[in-house]
Amino acid sequence: MHSDDNTSRRLQEALLLDRRQAGDRLLLDDATLAAALDGSRPLTAGERTALQASPLTARRLRHLALARRAADAAWRGSRGVLRAAGNGPLAALVTEDGWWTLHFIHEGGGWRAVLQLAPQAPFAEALLVARAPLRVVDGAGATILAAQLDADGECEAPWPFAAAPGDHLQAHGARFTVEPLEADTP
Amino acid sequence: MRLPGTRYQEPGWEEVRKLLGQCSLAALRGEGRARPDRLDDYVERMADQLLALRHGARARAAGNGYGDTVYELAVALVVELRARPADWDALCAALADGPAGDALLRKKVNDMFAVLRDRVDADNYQAACGRPCSPNRMYAYRMLDTAYHDVARLFADWRAHRAQVGAILGREILDAAAPIEVRQLRTIADCRPEWILRWSASLEAFGGGPGPLHTRSKRFASLKTSPDKIAAMLREIGDYEQLSANRDQDWLQDLDDASVWVEDYWRVLQESEDAATPGPDRILEARQDALDAAAPEPEPEPADDLADEASDPRLETLALSVSLPPGYLGEAGAAGAGHGKVARLLAADGLPVRLAVFARLLGPDDDTYPDAWRDPATGALPTMQQLAALAEVSLPTLRKRRDAAIARLGAAFNDKRGSDA
Repeated sequence: MHSDDNTSRRLQEALLLDRRQAGDRLLLDDATLAAALDGSRPLTAGERTALQASPLTARRLRHLALARRAADAAWRGSRGVLRAAGNGPLAALVTEDGWWTLHFIHEGGGWRAVLQLAPQAPFAEALLVARAPLRVVDGAGATILAAQLDADGECEAPWPFAAAPGDHLQAHGARFTVEPLEADTP
Repeated sequence: MRLPGTRYQEPGWEEVRKLLGQCSLAALRGEGRARPDRLDDYVERMADQLLALRHGARARAAGNGYGDTVYELAVALVVELRARPADWDALCAALADGPAGDALLRKKVNDMFAVLRDRVDADNYQAACGRPCSPNRMYAYRMLDTAYHDVARLFADWRAHRAQVGAILGREILDAAAPIEVRQLRTIADCRPEWILRWSASLEAFGGGPGPLHTRSKRFASLKTSPDKIAAMLREIGDYEQLSANRDQDWLQDLDDASVWVEDYWRVLQESEDAATPGPDRILEARQDALDAAAPEPEPEPADDLADEASDPRLETLALSVSLPPGYLGEAGAAGAGHGKVARLLAADGLPVRLAVFARLLGPDDDTYPDAWRDPATGALPTMQQLAALAEVSLPTLRKRRDAAIARLGAAFNDKRGSDA
C-alpha cells in the first residue's frame, strides 16, 4: 500500500500525463529543460507557458528529470556480460554501464583480477571518499573478488578459481556483477 | 523493430490489433447513432471487454520486448484514443453511412488503431530522445525495417533468388560464388540505401506488387530521392537495436517510484515564477520535413484476419455482471478512508464517484487499491456501469460527476503547486 503522499503524487502524474494536444511538438530543447531542472537558468515566462501548454514537452521534462534522479541515486550495482570470445586469453571486461573494468593479469603460474572504477562515473566520488568495500561475483553467485577501493579507484586480488578467467566465466553464466559489499554480508 | 520509447512496433502488435478488433466488434455491436457520449461509451465497453479477456492466451502473450503484454498495450491504446478524440471522430464519420457489417467495422477500427499506434509511438519517441518525429516517420522506419528483412532474406538464399539479388545489387550475379555483399550484410546498419531503393523498384517485377517506395502514394516521395536520409534511418534502427539488446535490464538502477518527477515539474514552474530568466525565450521552431508533413494513413491490412476469427462465441455470451457482493458499499467505503489529502479533496463525492476517478486516472487494476474496492468477480474496480448502479444515477451523470471531480483535483494541484495539495 502506498503512502498518502505517494497516491496524491501518482494522481497528479496521471493528470499531467493524460493530456494530449493535437499538433503538439517539442517546444523546448534539452539544454533549456536541463538548465531549468538543475536550477542554473529558470524558464522565462514564455517558456513556462510553453511547458504548461505542451504535454509532449512536459513528457520530455519527465524523461530528463528521471534520468537525472537515476544518476543521482545511490549506486546499487553494475553488471556485465562475457562477449563472444576473441583471440587469446581474456584480458578485460567492462560492465554494461561502462563504469567498471575488470582486468585479468597473467603472472607467474596464476592470474590476478583488478577492478577499476572510471573516475567520471556519477557515483565515483562517493565511493572513493568512502573507500567502499566492494565485491565482484560471477554468474553463479561465487565471489571473484572482495576488497576495499583504494585511492586510485582500484582493488585487486588473486584469481580464486582453478580455471582461467575466460573459461571460468564462460562456465558460470557468462556474466558478472559488481556490487557494494554490505557490512552484514559474510 | 525497436526505437527509443516505442511500444507498438514489434511483431506482438499483430496480436494487439486482433485483440482490439475482437473487443471492438462486441463493444460496437448494436451501437446506435451518434450521441455526445459515444466515445465514453466505447472506451468503457472496451475496458470491460478487455478486462473480461485478460486471462486469455492472446491477452497474456508478450506484446513487445520490454515486457508489456498484449492486454496492457491494448488497454493503453484505448486510453490514448480517449485523449485524442480526432481519430474517433474520423471513425464515426466513416461509419455514418449506415449500419456496418462486421468485416467493414473491423477494417475501420483496424485503420483507426493502426494510425493511432504510430501517433502514440511518435510521441513516445520524442519524449524518450528529444528529437522530432511524426506518425508518418514512424511508419517509414517500420517500412525500412521490413524492407531490410526482406533484402536479408533474399541475400541469405541468393542462389534461389539470383535475378532479384542482382536487381538489388545493380549488377549481374554469376553462379559461382556468393556476392561479397551477402556476407557483409549482418545487421540493418550494414544495409545500403541503394539496395532498398532497387529492392522497392524491382519488387513488382518479381511478383511482389509495387514496392513501398514505388506506389502511387506520396507518403514516401521525399525518401525516394534522398538515399542519405534512408541511410541515416537504417543506421538509427541498427544502433538502437544493439543498444537495447545490451541494456534491457537496468534493474540495478531502478527508481523506487517513477512519479517523483512530478516534484521536479512543480519546482521548475515555481522557480520560473519566482525568478524568471528575462527573455528572450528559447522556444524551438516548428521543423517540418516533407516526410513529417505527409498525413498519416493506415497501412494495408494483412489478409489473414477475417477468416482467422470471424466471430468469437465467447464474446457473444459474455455477461458483464452488474451485481456486486452484498455489503460492498460499506466495506469499500471504510477501506478508502485512509487517503488523507486526496480523500479531503474528494470528500464531497460519494464512493462511486471516487472510485470512478481512480479508475480513470490510475486504471481499473492498480496495485495500491485495497481489496475491498475490487469486484471479487474480476479482481478489478467495478465497471462504470456497476458504479452508476451503485450511485443510483445514470451513466452520463456519473461521468459528469467524475469529470467534475477530476477537474477539481487538477485545479487544486495547480493552485498549491502540487506538493501540499
